[in-house]
Amino acid sequence: MQFKTFDLIPHDTKFDFVGKRHIAVTLSLLANAAVILWAVFHGLNFGVDFAGGTEMEVRFEQAVDPGAIRKGVEELGFTDASVQTYGAESDHTYLIRVGRIALMSQADVDRVVKAVEAKFPVQGTPHFNPDVGDKVDFQFQGTPPTPDQLRAAVESAGVRVREVREEAGLTAGTKSFAVITQGIQDKIERDLSARFAEAKPDVRRVEYVGPAVGRELRNQGFKAVLYAMALIVVYIGLRFDFRFSPGVIIAIIHDAVITLGYFAFSGREFNLTSVAVILTVVGYSVNDTVVVYDRIRENAARHKGKKLGDLVNESINEVLGRTFLTSFATALSLIGLLVYGVGTIFDFSAAMMMGIISGTYSTWFIAAPMTIWLEERAAKKGAPARADREPARAAR
Amino acid sequence: MERNWYLRIALIAGVLVFSLYQLVPSWFYFQLPPSERNGEKYDQSVPSWAPSARKHLNLGLDLQGGIHLAMGVDVDRAVKAKVARRADEIADFLREKKLPVEASAPTPDGARIAVKTSDPKRVESIVLDQYGSELTSPSGAPQGTVYFAFKSKVLQDFQAKAVDQAEKTIRNRVDKWGVSEPDIKRKSNNQIQIQLPGFKDPEKAKELLGRTAQLEFKITDDDSAALDGVRAALPACPVDQGLLRAPLPEGGCWSVEGVELPGGQARQATFVAANTRAQLDAAVDKAAKPLLPPGDEIGVGEGTIGAGPVKDRFYRTYLLHGKTELTGDYISDARAAMDNSQGAGKPVVVFTMTPEGGRLMEKLTTQNLGRRMATVLDGKVETAPYIQGKISTNGQITLGSNRPYQQMFEEANEIALVLKAGALPAPVTIFEERTVGATLGPELIKKGTTAALVGLLLVVAFMILYYRATGLIADLALVLNALLVLAIMSIIGSTLTLPGIAGFVLTLGMAVDANVLINERIREELRAGRTVRQAVEQGYDKVFWTIVDSHVTTLVAGVVLMQYGSGPVRGFAVTLIIGLVASMFTSIVVTRAFMDFFTRRDTARLSV
Repeated sequence: MQFKTFDLIPHDTKFDFVGKRHIAVTLSLLANAAVILWAVFHGLNFGVDFAGGTEMEVRFEQAVDPGAIRKGVEELGFTDASVQTYGAESDHTYLIRVGRIALMSQADVDRVVKAVEAKFPVQGTPHFNPDVGDKVDFQFQGTPPTPDQLRAAVESAGVRVREVREEAGLTAGTKSFAVITQGIQDKIERDLSARFAEAKPDVRRVEYVGPAVGRELRNQGFKAVLYAMALIVVYIGLRFDFRFSPGVIIAIIHDAVITLGYFAFSGREFNLTSVAVILTVVGYSVNDTVVVYDRIRENAARHKGKKLGDLVNESINEVLGRTFLTSFATALSLIGLLVYGVGTIFDFSAAMMMGIISGTYSTWFIAAPMTIWLEERAAKKGAPARADREPARAAR
Repeated sequence: MERNWYLRIALIAGVLVFSLYQLVPSWFYFQLPPSERNGEKYDQSVPSWAPSARKHLNLGLDLQGGIHLAMGVDVDRAVKAKVARRADEIADFLREKKLPVEASAPTPDGARIAVKTSDPKRVESIVLDQYGSELTSPSGAPQGTVYFAFKSKVLQDFQAKAVDQAEKTIRNRVDKWGVSEPDIKRKSNNQIQIQLPGFKDPEKAKELLGRTAQLEFKITDDDSAALDGVRAALPACPVDQGLLRAPLPEGGCWSVEGVELPGGQARQATFVAANTRAQLDAAVDKAAKPLLPPGDEIGVGEGTIGAGPVKDRFYRTYLLHGKTELTGDYISDARAAMDNSQGAGKPVVVFTMTPEGGRLMEKLTTQNLGRRMATVLDGKVETAPYIQGKISTNGQITLGSNRPYQQMFEEANEIALVLKAGALPAPVTIFEERTVGATLGPELIKKGTTAALVGLLLVVAFMILYYRATGLIADLALVLNALLVLAIMSIIGSTLTLPGIAGFVLTLGMAVDANVLINERIREELRAGRTVRQAVEQGYDKVFWTIVDSHVTTLVAGVVLMQYGSGPVRGFAVTLIIGLVASMFTSIVVTRAFMDFFTRRDTARLSV
């Protein structure tokens, strides 16, 4: 037979992974703590998906000063505006984000209501839902104003109106109007066009998420991560042995936190897609771990009575090539996305790359060694830690 | 190991041909410039032997531009309106019963009705006697006042109905714009998600969707035979056992329905029908408009074809008197109910009008007894039931014909919704909006495709360099995998999004993973001194469960994502799931068939 291959990773390595586990675990703990502390104290850059607000992607034909954009937006009354370069510098594309979804704050509403009440027979308290934020419902008794009169009254309070909508009254003899104020998009777009006329701003994408929706999306994202982790752990527990589950959980959490670290330290936007990345990393990082566990089980059945530590070391070394190469192949496929990906996709791929590297690392240094550690603790408590306790189904 | 590789090669060839066949519509779809993709030109360009033209790869809003809106129904306000109306009703009711009532009005928070009276005890018991199924009387009212509030179950039901109304109205409106493949669905309890691919003007969309519905009542002009003239200009609709058969001719067609006239006679009234609103409008402009009697107009409604659970819809005309006899402003409530007066229960629609509306309705129904009254919501004829008796404040619409009970009850519910839509504005506001400009979409497709191709090529090159012949086999499987994923996505009509492209690339990477696992295992077995054939067999057998495990764990993440994700994230999840399933097939079945084929002799060589 012919055997003209080369091995990227030699097939007969004898690295002492188990022996190095104390250093590795310390490093990992530090890295994880750093991410968590950073996320807690410095915060993540939540995108509109989670924070709520309005986000616009604007492309200019010529270079403009992002500081000037921010200044313009702030002059419009958005003190919480953020302006980021989006994609390559040569694209002249910026992400403008403001925390509000509508122009009206409660103070604006009070002013508008006062102005209208002064002129027309307003009945009851006008209805304003701060979650929606751009709409006030007025109800009138007696002689109601015409839509144009109402618009004039609202605008006299300094709020621009986009539309006055006539609605059937709540009860007979009343008349209702919904006053909808101009959206943020119109206002910013107009301002940019005036300010940077020669650079021809082009609004390419607008996202607007109400705070209630943002909260809901955040809760769902959080739930999704938890459920996925739980389901994976159950699956591993059933397929292998619940003895392996703690190692998997810890490796999963480790990789999820490291991936989160990409978003924390780079300051890139953390949004729904980021949750997708973390979930995929969680799913993917188990892959490598499974390969090693599989081999541990196989070896345990073959060399009964061998010390678990040696068994784990031997198994990791045996599948070292596989673990490395599978991650390498997946990483290769991500390179295209990293080079040509724009905005979200670049972040997606970069975070995924981090996750894959972390997943491979955690397979070697966290998951399997953690199993040993747990076994040793169990042994100290008197339970005999015998690797050959594995059932015979391991012969697969 | 059985050497039934003929069978397996046949299976693989079958899968390949099937995938290519399923991708034919997508191929023609992407050949066309974006502006023509959703038009007739596309339908015509797909050859007749190909799968249904509908089954092409969909592009997500992020890739083709368009609008995603989540509209919230302001149930809060709708509830306030309901409370206010009921307060008025209670005042009327108590005055009728000659009870002392000072005032009956909603409390400032709009949640309760406060009735001021000198005899709270009697008022409470009498009102609860009448409205006990809906109202309760909460405590805590000040001296001389009784509180009433809706039971929470009644309110929940009412809120759900309000969202139903809004959804129906939005559907009707979007329907009229001719947006290709709009997607409208309920999201959470009070939200409706609307996706309008290719729609460019978010302001217009918001304005049109945000308005409250307009309900009108008009009388059909069944006396006129004017529309019979369209029979000269249009073909007759295909009919099967007395029912229309889909699809109708492209340019529209005519058909007849039997209508009763007030005098007791009956006649065959002609109407025009077509598959889509646009086709019907064109046919009406061409054939029916010139025949229109003065003062009449053409109303458009929907009909269903077939009796099964999946019914094709078509559009049809009604000849209406142009005058709007009544508007929905006068309706205060409507619901579907059972009429047991004639023995077996029959679904009916019961509605209540305001006093003024009741007078108008009484006049209208007396004058038009036996005619059909069309209820027109936002310009679309929803139903046209016969006026079978005088209707005043409390009206009842009896549904005609003897259709299955369930179908009739659904229809009754729908009519009730429509009637209420005119009465109770459930205002909608935008909770979430995502607009992708038309210029951004194509750019993203281009970059996304490049990214995917580069990733794919790198992987392919690596496999050949590292594993030689076996790598080539893996690459062939990879290409089949890619085709299979795209084919499945076309069949189930899932949508390709930008993250979806990333998911696609990632699953290709994972498919290669599986092959790496197999090849490394084979190498290991070869090192252990097995023959090539043994090594291949051992390699596959031992790695089988590892591959399943690794795929299933990622699959779990994918399924959770699909459950909780929205928009592009869901697109990513779907692509990931399909990719994983395809990857299991190609890495376990396909590459193995090839390997077995090349190593079928014991003397075989293998470069792994």
